[in-house]
Amino acid sequence: MAEWVVTVMSADRVGIVAAVSGALARLGGSITNLSQTVLRGYFTIILTVSLPPEVSPDDIRAAVSAAGAEGEFEVGVKPYQLRASSSACATGAERFILTARGQDRPGVIYRISSYLATRGVNIEDFYAYSTGDGQFVMILEVAIPKEWDLSQIQLDIEDHGREVGFVAHLQHENIFRATNELDAVARPRQRVQDKEVAKN
Amino acid sequence: MRSVTLGITLLDCASPNLDLLCRKVKEKVRSRADGLVSVCRRISSRYGIPIVNCRIAVSPIAAVAAGHGVQGFVEVARALDQAAAEVGVDFIGGYTALVHKGMSRSDRALIESLPEALSITTHVCASVNAASSHAGINMEAVALLGHIIKQLAERTADRDGFGCAKLVVFANIPEDNPFMAGAYLGLGEPETVVNIGVSGPGVVKRAVERLRDACPDTTLADIAEEIKNTAFRVTRVGELIGREVAEELGVAFGIVDLSLAPTPQVGDSVGEILQAMGVAEIGGPGTTAALALLNDAVKKGGAFASSSVGGLSGAFIPVCEDACLANAASRGTLGVEKLEAMTSVCSVGLDMVPVPGDTTPEALAALMADELAIGVVNRKTTACRLIPVPGKKAGEVVSFGGLFGESAILDLRSGTADAFVRLGGRIPAPLVSLNN
Repeated sequence: MAEWVVTVMSADRVGIVAAVSGALARLGGSITNLSQTVLRGYFTIILTVSLPPEVSPDDIRAAVSAAGAEGEFEVGVKPYQLRASSSACATGAERFILTARGQDRPGVIYRISSYLATRGVNIEDFYAYSTGDGQFVMILEVAIPKEWDLSQIQLDIEDHGREVGFVAHLQHENIFRATNELDAVARPRQRVQDKEVAKN
Repeated sequence: MRSVTLGITLLDCASPNLDLLCRKVKEKVRSRADGLVSVCRRISSRYGIPIVNCRIAVSPIAAVAAGHGVQGFVEVARALDQAAAEVGVDFIGGYTALVHKGMSRSDRALIESLPEALSITTHVCASVNAASSHAGINMEAVALLGHIIKQLAERTADRDGFGCAKLVVFANIPEDNPFMAGAYLGLGEPETVVNIGVSGPGVVKRAVERLRDACPDTTLADIAEEIKNTAFRVTRVGELIGREVAEELGVAFGIVDLSLAPTPQVGDSVGEILQAMGVAEIGGPGTTAALALLNDAVKKGGAFASSSVGGLSGAFIPVCEDACLANAASRGTLGVEKLEAMTSVCSVGLDMVPVPGDTTPEALAALMADELAIGVVNRKTTACRLIPVPGKKAGEVVSFGGLFGESAILDLRSGTADAFVRLGGRIPAPLVSLNN
């Protein structure tokens, strides 16, 4: 079996996931990971799928495209390659939650993300939206290399935020979980989770 | 994070040879607490959450050094002071005697050593449990402590009686309290244990303000709910960090004390929370009710967050250490009587209360007895840190600096209870003690 990364973008409607997953199933594929969201009426999905070795990327693109109406889906296909740097744990980084909120204006995401890039901080998940009253909210899951002094990064991020009129906070994933989940703070549970993350 | 307090048993350091005892004490504190400060620094940097103080609490020294007399106890205090300095903690608590039902000869010796022990050392904190709901109030000890506090103030007169800020007189002393000056390691505690003091008056105040700004029709029930949620989060962070510190040090994790402990900084005040709830004048009508709501909501949020909540876990009202309370004391809206009422619904008691330098030992003892009675009857901890400031009168300002803050000296009601105090003996345990 060969593994592929497939993306589909389209105007949203009922039945897109069924159409895409049906096309992949008919090719003999098994979806291994999937993330899907709808952003202001536009659907996007990224997934990894295991397929028989004889299936080519053109076959995948053709089958998925044909599952929608003419020109409806924009389909991307790439062979899946495990990169050592793709896992936060593999590189000795720790996960943090970065939240920022302020009056919407151009260049805010650039400001924050370019700073993160200079520090080798990988953005693993990012969700941002405008509220009705002109406020812009960003929630990022980031992997920060262990060599950085966290308090410095925190001060930098707060400062970058302040300069563009945003209130920004950086919180370790463990703190975020401890303060937002009902499960008791218990080391054994964390160790199990750490092991699972390491395995993946 | 206000305080990471490492409890260390010192009972095995006892020895008839005083030199050996002191060496064993220093060696044990050194060996157990050596990595404390660096571990706290590492975990603090990992999470980006400051740990303000690393501290040590030890077994009651009256038991550890029993039989060595007043000067022997002073030597042990010196040994504790040196050990604390070497491992880099700011305070070491546990220079303690438990005398709620009676004083042994060693308990008395420790109490009599307090003026010297606390004036020649920097890091040592002392406490005396003079009352309990089970035993009543040991008025003989309370009367003695009135004199001792006066002597301690005189011996540290050059620092406005600061020595008294390192001595707490308790009713129902908790065995796992991580906050100074009252921390000691109880006899029922493990060999070594990490107890955590989280604190967040500022966080709670901002939460209340945000809620009231966002919702004009906020009710007191909404405020209680918001404080519960905040206490839940703060407690969770405390437990997470406490467990990691304990694991790295290889010792047991004890409890999270979720007390709201103010600092003199503006914005880090229990008084300001009450103001955010709409009580304009601290000490005025409404103060006790608002404080009761706050204290209860903090406990409920914390109890839901963790099964390891302990210590005092309520709101502290140390007058000097809370700028808002100190201002109220200066303006005359907050007096000792209102403070006493407030302590019946919150943690601790007449804490960091500066009183006139000419207050008599008997008046100090009577005031302490009043406060301890509140704890004894209500089955809760109460305590006194009274500071008779030498040479100063009511209304004058005294400043202790740093976390100890400053305040106007509070006036005491006239009228004496000297005869009452001198009767001595023990105020019997209240009916609530008969619950078996």
